[in-house]
Amino acid sequence: MNIDNIKKEFPIFDEKIQNNDLVYLDSANSSQKPKVVIDRINEFYTKEFSNVGRSIHYLAVAATNLYENTRSSVQKYINAKDKNEIVFTKGATEALNLVANTLGQKYLNEGDEILLTELEHHSNYVPWHYLRKSKNIKINFAEINEEGEIPIENIEKKITPKTKVIAINHLSNVTGAILPIKEITELAHAKDIIVVVDGCQGAPHLKLDVQDLDCDFYAISCHKMYGPTGLGILYGKKKWLEELPPYQGGGGMIKEVKKDRITYGDLPNKYEAGTMATAQVIAFDKSIKFLESIGIENIIKHEKELIEYGQEILKKNNSVKIIGNPKNKGGVISFTIEGVHPHDIATILDEDGVAIRAGHHCCQILHDKLEIPASARASVGVYNTKSDFDQLNESINKCKKIFDLK
Amino acid sequence: MNLKELYQEIILEHGKNPRNLRKTENFNKDAKGNNPLCGDNVHVYLKLNNQRKVEDISFEGSGCAISMASASIMTDLIKGKSDNEAKEIIDDFLGMIKENPELKSTILEEDDKTKLMCLSGVKQYPMRVKCATLSWHTLISAMEDDGKQVSTED
Repeated sequence: MNIDNIKKEFPIFDEKIQNNDLVYLDSANSSQKPKVVIDRINEFYTKEFSNVGRSIHYLAVAATNLYENTRSSVQKYINAKDKNEIVFTKGATEALNLVANTLGQKYLNEGDEILLTELEHHSNYVPWHYLRKSKNIKINFAEINEEGEIPIENIEKKITPKTKVIAINHLSNVTGAILPIKEITELAHAKDIIVVVDGCQGAPHLKLDVQDLDCDFYAISCHKMYGPTGLGILYGKKKWLEELPPYQGGGGMIKEVKKDRITYGDLPNKYEAGTMATAQVIAFDKSIKFLESIGIENIIKHEKELIEYGQEILKKNNSVKIIGNPKNKGGVISFTIEGVHPHDIATILDEDGVAIRAGHHCCQILHDKLEIPASARASVGVYNTKSDFDQLNESINKCKKIFDLK
Repeated sequence: MNLKELYQEIILEHGKNPRNLRKTENFNKDAKGNNPLCGDNVHVYLKLNNQRKVEDISFEGSGCAISMASASIMTDLIKGKSDNEAKEIIDDFLGMIKENPELKSTILEEDDKTKLMCLSGVKQYPMRVKCATLSWHTLISAMEDDGKQVSTED
């Protein structure tokens, strides 16, 4: 597949958005969907729909096979050792809540410490915060450096004999810093610390090999990977998923239910209570095939060129200040304009069809540290081109004109 | 959609040089408001005298041009009014932003009405309505002295 033609695979770019061509620079928030994924949802509901894993009629068996087929594709894509290490969730947020909740139930005790970083998204902080309340667990934060990175020394500094879990993102949704997960895992495992990775931004932009990373858990958001909303994935090492208790109770996750006792199902059913996002799971197989057909190496190269070009062009623009300068960076460029609030930037850019995100991007800890209330963020996907950044820059200039900036 | 209607001169000017952006000394009523979606926050301070008149009103906080201009214009107009007059102006403004094409109150001078109507441009930008109304809702909370923190997402 030619990366220059990829935009054509996404029907949304045929639409006029308020009479403009769409310049979509908000993929870190959610990516657009290729036609193959959209069509697959329609096709499944039109011709093949049934619930999975329960009934024994033809449609149910066929749908179950399709559902399990996606599990195998995910296993292969992230190089998990076992198919049963892949758990479907309603999103990466639920995946992280599942890990925090079940570790809290069985593994963590009063006084234990959890190490996060100042770069974490709220979804990799709030679930751990619950344990502060319910189990009196302490949360520490590894600090960012001047470049908006988390060097491994800053992690090491905050590890104490009481640290039981390190929960970190793979790629920052604000500074774009890529964290050295493999090194962090080596360091952590030498001290018997569990490593939980928030892979929301890592999974769409980086080559994934969970066995190589050796992390204990890895959370994925499917709608950021050209897949449907309402779907996430939790990878967990089998020993942990087997040892930890179930997260939610309901149909599909049990083995035997009696008035006086209940036994739970085997993996992965144990963690998939109730009717799952069936159509989304089945359509997500097409997202993976789409990513595989381009090749993650090609995606990495393409996005690296885009980000370098975007940074180059924005650095030349007076009054634009880029947040962070990580050596190893992917996917996003966050910035501020002196004298213009990010929300005003976003509204003015929107008038030209340029879709960016403005706000704290669910990272208030980081914005507090940087002493700014909010920032603007342009983030890329496979469909972006350098001309998108040209248009971004042009619209930023319009913004400056309205606010009378030089 | 019309950016010129949203970013009128008066808005940009008040946004850049907000009036009453300070903390009232000896304030006797105050409230905080925030917009969790964007992190914007405002703290409104009031000094009501014995005759229930707003002797001073001020605010602290940070936000976009719309929210800063709205708070600035609000404090300008409310200063010197009685608490009942203030309530009428607040209702009138919120009514206009929500649905009414014009302001109805007879308390305000034509000049002041023109200033307030400059904020009506947000009507075309549903995501920005909260920017314009946050300080007003916070003022209500301060006057009612209910001690509640105002959030745009409640």
